[in-house]
Amino acid sequence: MKEEIFQLLFAQAREMGEETGQTNLLNPTVETKLYHRDGNLDSLGLVTFIAGVEEKISDKFGVDILIVDEKAMSQVSSPFISVQSLADYVEKLLQNESGE
Amino acid sequence: MSWIFDKFNSHPGLPAIICNHKVYTYHDLNNRVEWYLLFLKDHGIQPGNVVGLLSEFTFEATALLLALAKSCNIAVPLDPGNITDLDETIRQAQIDHLVRFREEIPEFLNIAPGSDKHPLIRTLQQEKKAGLILFSSGTTGKPKVMLHDLTRLIDNYQNTRVKSTNSLILLGFDHIGGLDSLFRLLSICATITLPHSRQPADICQLIEDHKVNVLPTTPTFLNLLIISEAYKQYDLSSLEIIGFGAEAISAALLKKIKVIFPAVRLQQKFGTSETNAIRIFNNAGDEQFFRINDPNVQYKIVDNELWLKSSNNILGYLNMETDQFENGWFKTGDLVESRGEYMKVMGRKKEVINVGGEKVLPSIVEEVLLQHPDILDCKVYGMENLLTGQVVAADVVISPATDMDNFKPRIKKYCREKLLAFQVPVKINIVEEITLSSRNKKVRSNL
Repeated sequence: MKEEIFQLLFAQAREMGEETGQTNLLNPTVETKLYHRDGNLDSLGLVTFIAGVEEKISDKFGVDILIVDEKAMSQVSSPFISVQSLADYVEKLLQNESGE
Repeated sequence: MSWIFDKFNSHPGLPAIICNHKVYTYHDLNNRVEWYLLFLKDHGIQPGNVVGLLSEFTFEATALLLALAKSCNIAVPLDPGNITDLDETIRQAQIDHLVRFREEIPEFLNIAPGSDKHPLIRTLQQEKKAGLILFSSGTTGKPKVMLHDLTRLIDNYQNTRVKSTNSLILLGFDHIGGLDSLFRLLSICATITLPHSRQPADICQLIEDHKVNVLPTTPTFLNLLIISEAYKQYDLSSLEIIGFGAEAISAALLKKIKVIFPAVRLQQKFGTSETNAIRIFNNAGDEQFFRINDPNVQYKIVDNELWLKSSNNILGYLNMETDQFENGWFKTGDLVESRGEYMKVMGRKKEVINVGGEKVLPSIVEEVLLQHPDILDCKVYGMENLLTGQVVAADVVISPATDMDNFKPRIKKYCREKLLAFQVPVKINIVEEITLSSRNKKVRSNL
């Protein structure tokens, strides 16, 4: 599942790179920074990025998850720092979803 | 107000109202008003009583409304389709008696005659004037209950010349826009066509059958008319004027209407429930812009919001403080862009989306979306978001020919080229149709 999540985040990053012209997002890796002091997204970019990811997850896994909520905001380490951290967080959400 | 009945008497043979395919003349209307005056008397309804009128917009309801005006009652027109809780409505409007219709036959119901009345109602009663109580559409929160001086409102249409024209009234019997059209048309002894449904095809059929000349409508209805393509199946060549109002219109829609109806004059209307219709002058060429041209009205623009002071302002609200009024000025809640003395309605103040402190007007985003060939209709609104407070969301109706591959990213990219980053819809939902309010407006209540 993790690999699928990575692919999905990469696709979203490339899409946004094409949309916004940010070259850093065109060839994403697990290390690519998202919302961070040297990240590639501003708050609005992050919102757009997350909305795209939620949509892709819905298409791919058939579940609707809400990534940005109080829980995400209160994590000790922000899940939005990089592709890696976001993938970890999304995986956890999906596991919770299927465990219920 | 007796002048209006004298006018009916002087033009007895002219067709007044077409309703359910029956044509009633001004003679018929006057007779029916007299009949209702007896009906009111027979049921012990006294001048000054508050009378609810539960009916669709029909010939019968019009005659009863005029009778209530003539006998100095306070009328409360209630459209059954817009009422969810009749008991609460009766309480809010302080109704004494209710008249409802079964198959066009009036039924009288005694509610709570003589109950304590709001001071504004008591003043009207003392002055022996007719009143009108209207409810705001109340898409958000509690509807406002507004009291108008009906005698003054009708008298405003005096000194108008008789004109032979046939107008279809699309707005409701409980809507100031519908009532403004009604009194204005009656005062010139014109013909009024009342629809039994608001489906585009039914409206087109009526225009064809009765050779309607004037169609006052809303941008939302015009959009439905285009999407349904109903205009292609009927002969609408009698149409001379299409009026539009009640919400902001997009340039894209205006352009489409001009292509479909090249010979028709487009006329913007403007008004609010609190001020009644305002006479305006359209800008030739760009009908989105107009200037206020009404001897009874003063205006000013404060922080892009239009403020109006009119001799037709409502007397007040029955269920709340008049906080939308300041020293006689009514704050319309309409945001306008001004160009010299001309202005254009941009949208409602409460519909503004706040994206991390940046303000977004839905109409600006809708305008861009509607220019995209794949998008037939759309509605833009705010969606709550923890990161930025709100984000822009859009519901879109797409053309059947749309290539679905990568559709949403393509639309976002297209928007990004034409809009600022915070204006670009973060969420795009493809929907079958756009939900409308009972008054044929888009409901943009923020989620």
